[in-house]
Amino acid sequence: MPSNRASSSAAAAAGSADSSTSRRNSKRPKYSKFTQQELPACKPILTPGWVILTFLVVSVIFIPLGVVSLFASQDVVEIVDRYDNDCIPAPARANKVAYIQGAADKTCNRTIVVPKKMKQPIYVYYELENFYQNHRRYVKSRSDAQLRSVKDENQIDACKPEDDVNGKPIVPCGLIAWSLFNDTYVLSKNNQTLNVSKKGIAWKSDREHKFGKNVFPKNFQMGNITGGGKLIPDVPLSEQEDLIVWMRTAALPTFRKLYGKIETDLQENDTIHVILKNNYNTYSFDGKKKLVLSTTSWLGGKNDFLGIAYLTVGGICFFLALAFTIMYLVKPRRLGDPTYLSWNRVPGGGR
Amino acid sequence: MKRFVYINDDEASKELCCDNRISNTKYTLWNFFPKNLLEQFSRFMNQYFLLIACLQLWSLITPVNPASTWGPLIFIFAVSASKEAWDDYHRYLSDKKANEREVWIVKHGIKKHIQAQDIQVGNIVWLRENDEVPCDLVLLGTSDPQGVCYVETAALDGETDLKTRVIPSACVGIDLELLHKMKGVIECPIPDKDIRRFDANMRLFPPFIDNDVCSLTIKNTLLQSCYLRNTEWACGVSVYTGNQTKLGMCRGVAEPKLTAMDAMIDKLTGAIFVFQIVVVMVLGVAGNVWKDTEARKQWYVQYPEEAPWYELLVIPLRFELLCSIMIPISIKVSLDLVKGLYAKFIEWDVEMVDQETGTASYAANTAISEDLGQVEYILTDKTGTLTDNKMIFRRCCIGGIFYGNENGDALKDTQLLDAITSGSTDVIRFLTVMAICNTVIPVRSKAGDIIYKAQSQDEDALVIAAAKLHMVFVGKNANLLELMFNGEMLRYEVLEILEFTSDRKRMSVVVKDSQNGKIILLSKGADESILPSARAGQHTRTIAEAVEHYAQLGLRTLCLAWRELEEDEYLEWSVKFKEANSVLVDREWRIAEVCQLLEHDLYILGVTAIEDRLQDGVPETIETLRKAGINFWMLTGDKQNTAIQIALSCNFISPEPKGQLLLIDGKTEEDVSRSLERVLLTMRTTTSEPKDVAFVIDGWALEIALKHHRKDFVELAILSRTAICCRVTPSQKAQLVEILKSCDYRTLAIGDGGNDVRMIQQADIGVGISGREGLQAARAADYSIGRFRFLKRLILVHGRYSYNRTAFLSQYSFYKSLLICFIQIFFSFISGVSGTSLFNSVSLMAYNVFYTSVPVLVSVIDKDLSETTVMQHPQILFYCQAGRLLNPSTFAGWFGRSLFHAIVVFVITIHAYAYEKSEMEELGMVALSGCIWLQAFVVAQETNFFTVLQHLSIWGNLVGFYVLNFLFSAIPSSGMYTIMFRLCSQPSYWITMFLIVGAGMGPIFALKYYRYTYRPSKINILQQAERMGGPILTLGNIETQPRTIEKDVSPVSIRSPVYEPLLSESPNATRRSFGPGAPFEFFQSQSRLSSSSGYTRNCKDN
Repeated sequence: MPSNRASSSAAAAAGSADSSTSRRNSKRPKYSKFTQQELPACKPILTPGWVILTFLVVSVIFIPLGVVSLFASQDVVEIVDRYDNDCIPAPARANKVAYIQGAADKTCNRTIVVPKKMKQPIYVYYELENFYQNHRRYVKSRSDAQLRSVKDENQIDACKPEDDVNGKPIVPCGLIAWSLFNDTYVLSKNNQTLNVSKKGIAWKSDREHKFGKNVFPKNFQMGNITGGGKLIPDVPLSEQEDLIVWMRTAALPTFRKLYGKIETDLQENDTIHVILKNNYNTYSFDGKKKLVLSTTSWLGGKNDFLGIAYLTVGGICFFLALAFTIMYLVKPRRLGDPTYLSWNRVPGGGR
Repeated sequence: MKRFVYINDDEASKELCCDNRISNTKYTLWNFFPKNLLEQFSRFMNQYFLLIACLQLWSLITPVNPASTWGPLIFIFAVSASKEAWDDYHRYLSDKKANEREVWIVKHGIKKHIQAQDIQVGNIVWLRENDEVPCDLVLLGTSDPQGVCYVETAALDGETDLKTRVIPSACVGIDLELLHKMKGVIECPIPDKDIRRFDANMRLFPPFIDNDVCSLTIKNTLLQSCYLRNTEWACGVSVYTGNQTKLGMCRGVAEPKLTAMDAMIDKLTGAIFVFQIVVVMVLGVAGNVWKDTEARKQWYVQYPEEAPWYELLVIPLRFELLCSIMIPISIKVSLDLVKGLYAKFIEWDVEMVDQETGTASYAANTAISEDLGQVEYILTDKTGTLTDNKMIFRRCCIGGIFYGNENGDALKDTQLLDAITSGSTDVIRFLTVMAICNTVIPVRSKAGDIIYKAQSQDEDALVIAAAKLHMVFVGKNANLLELMFNGEMLRYEVLEILEFTSDRKRMSVVVKDSQNGKIILLSKGADESILPSARAGQHTRTIAEAVEHYAQLGLRTLCLAWRELEEDEYLEWSVKFKEANSVLVDREWRIAEVCQLLEHDLYILGVTAIEDRLQDGVPETIETLRKAGINFWMLTGDKQNTAIQIALSCNFISPEPKGQLLLIDGKTEEDVSRSLERVLLTMRTTTSEPKDVAFVIDGWALEIALKHHRKDFVELAILSRTAICCRVTPSQKAQLVEILKSCDYRTLAIGDGGNDVRMIQQADIGVGISGREGLQAARAADYSIGRFRFLKRLILVHGRYSYNRTAFLSQYSFYKSLLICFIQIFFSFISGVSGTSLFNSVSLMAYNVFYTSVPVLVSVIDKDLSETTVMQHPQILFYCQAGRLLNPSTFAGWFGRSLFHAIVVFVITIHAYAYEKSEMEELGMVALSGCIWLQAFVVAQETNFFTVLQHLSIWGNLVGFYVLNFLFSAIPSSGMYTIMFRLCSQPSYWITMFLIVGAGMGPIFALKYYRYTYRPSKINILQQAERMGGPILTLGNIETQPRTIEKDVSPVSIRSPVYEPLLSESPNATRRSFGPGAPFEFFQSQSRLSSSSGYTRNCKDN
């Protein structure tokens, strides 16, 4: 009986505060849209119209973007000169490694013809192929702390095996610094030296914050084996921009690194002579070396990939939009038709 | 084992030592860290992550900073630990409150005020009205001269009625002064958790005159956490204290239940683990080969010529560490979080609040909401679960005359009223039994009305009906009962109460009529327990027919009987009864035996019929859930016919010709087994037909079936969608659950009473109805709801959403982890298979914990279909039951998607950022942002229900990613200093992002659209219908659809010789003949009684 029940619990409530009645009432949940899972919501469904429109819009955006990107890439003038093979004198080609490790003069003359007018700034890169700067052993072999300040010069734990010489720490330590690229290029146009500016080729942030102004090379390349290039002992690391550039390790086995900038325009059919010192050993692992002169666009260097990819994706989207339209017209299907529900056709429920 | 408690004797009770400090806390301040850590590391996943984290400390092999694993690991451990600590702290606070409560105890005759925690065993505790009992006490004295007091046991068993407690006979008449100096010994069992039993003895020491051993029962105790009511004071000696009290022992940590989904996620994790090992081995071998062939030539790497012995292991271990993120470390925490929220949604749901009592639903177990969506079998109790348990006296049959048949209400039957006024002996005796053969306590309210406090709803209904028929039960004064009949006061003195037990199925009282001094035995009980004890000459046939008739109307019947006792007979019996009452071992059984000695030769007065109405919405709920493909079993202690009638009226089974009911019964074991075989045969032949076939089995047959034909019965259980099991004991209910579970079905047990507790605990999901039979079931259950009809919402809405959401969340977690891992693997191919990580440590650490966790967490409010649609098309639950949304093949889809996305991100990144742009940090960030962008769009694409929160989290997270990385980029010492600023100022970065999104999402979007439109799942169709507002939403359509099917199948022919009698709505067809077989029937039921009680005895002995 309700009355019976109510009064019995009322009697109980009189006695104690936490009797069942009062506790139960306080348990009544508070109403809010969130607690009832009834927040106003938009419930999109994939109607043919929307889907086709989406694909159309995407293709309409992507195809022009692709064209623009492609044009940007095409605008870039790029001269690539592979020299690793040619710069070895023919007799030494049988054993390139021996040549490169030998003491012979490694000067090499190259001639480059500018195919198109190049506007300044023109970037001079060296490109290495099959060089694994991203190798686990290599990429970790550095000490950022040591590069930043003098007082941390003993932090060389990560630098093995190029950490110290006779117990004295190497600055900059590690494999990366040790294997510094040391080919040099001297460019001249019409017998006039073409000034290749080496200032500002490294990231500003690196120069200012990652490489100390008072950190000088110490014991560098003094070990039993000499790796790559040497550093000028009395120039602080923050000004050794070649090192800074080199120490920004590349993620891919083929990469370009900035060598310098040419701040004059080059005209079509200009002939550029390059006197290069072919010092760096890529021959033991069949790595290629290239000298690259390139202008840039808003998208960066010459790279058709983005443009082509955009055109492809845009094209596919357009094709899909077309295909879906045709499918829709040929085989219209009413959305949400209850006759598709199997339990409305087959008796006996879902199983 | 026994315990001897010396009353008021500090020395003797010392060895029992323990004070009354209650401690529910799991940890102490000191053992928290070790214990909690140990617990967390008992999980395989955590051990695995710890191993990975430890490996990372070896700098030779670690690809990244060890913090990238330690960070998330510690974070996740901290989250779990602080949750535990928080819970435990709250337990500590509530314990502290209880422990520091002030109580009065009596020591050496002096009353002292002490804290509850200082009570020792053997102390005399003194309580005033409305005090909470601080520990388990044996009552010694009360303010009532008869030694009676009243307690409310709601906190213990949830029953809100007042219970009577009496002082032991040895203590009767001891005055207050003496009470305080009382000495004695109580011999009691060692603490146990049975709150209905206390088999002990007490002996008082001199100077008390009565030095005999005096038996104690649960009636002489005040248990911890009860409240003293309507009694000025009471005092008792503490026998169990602290955590050893009955309440303390009842507590216990339930075994955590594992959902089917958790099991599936574990399985998938295992698969990923194997995949990872394969990847690691392949890459490890490839890495070593590359190292020996290529890397030796690369002078700048400087591989040493002489390598330590472990050199070969280094590369595989590096890859192991790189790939360890394949198993998302955050999945456990995310799942715990969302599961907690699912549970909260259940508790918050205003549509699941019982308006009548204001009880909200409650999820005691927050971990198993997904299982609700995968339920295949529901085992339900009948009384109080399907029905209201609001008993109303409707009809009766006295001396062969049916009352209330015309208008359905005996209270208004003029014939009965006439019979009362004319003073027909039978009728008056009938009313007397109705009024006093019970344990009801009448209480006068302030307004002067009489309120009855009854333990059972049946008794309540009978007493109220008797009062309406002018036999008013006015007062109970200790053993003196006062009845008011037509203005005349009748007094009866209660001599003994032969209590109701579920084995005996009857209760009796022995009273002395104060008017004429006669001793009378009044009995009431189930027909099969009363009728066999009928007086030799009496024709029980009309009674049996009446019972049958009422049962067919779905009414609960009780037979009332009466016998005058000779004084000698009573006294002789009374001694035996006392003896039985003081037995320590098997007391219940002995009492039942002794009771049997008195309850014979009864004069059957008649039958009462009580209506127990169905709860609102029960038929609809059952119909909907059955449509959802859930099979229902009804397990009830009630009679077969009542059960069948209720089953019919609540759509449990369909009437003929659509439904067919198969009975399994028999008088002997062979009969039962033959019947079982026959039913099984019928079942096998009918399964192919669209027909509702149900089997009915009763407790006795069930026991035989389970004992001897378990295999057959299991097959039957699998074949049959519906079953009715009547007259089953609590342990049988649990056994049935066990059987279904052993067939790999997801079971849900729902019940409301103490007899359902075992099945609720046994089932995958236990649901308790917080109803009138107290809260016992609700406490044991994983979920408690106010009404049966909420089950529909619980399963179809909450269960289904939970399943869908978890399915998405878990697979998505794997997807995102795999995505980043695949990119690492691809990168290793262009980094000399040396195990370099493309991403920096910070990114790897933040990836799982910050960058990708927020959007996916909002999937907890995603809804694929609206609640109304689900309710209209419950069949859609099939997707959850069959696990269609999380299984190896859907997982393969996600696996493929992550592979595809990894290829897209990787290929685009390394081509767009080639040559002069291929700087390590930059490339890593480009790839990472590509992943984050794809994440956002994948979540957006898989979201069906965009609220503000979704938008905020998906797009906000994307913004957050940039904000966070700008922050990291602003720290000069970090590896990614200025990287993000540089990238964001490059147009090529943004162009690359758009390309990744376009190339990554385009095909997936197209595929989704194609499937959605041309190969739609049922869910898709309903989504479309719901949002287009198609004709499907009109109810009429849905209603008519199944109807037409019904018509198709309606003609049914008799096909096979094994054809069983069909059930129909006409009573004749189902009626089981009572004719010549009647005596056998009684014989049989008696044997059933004894066998079933034998069974329970066995159980107890175990």
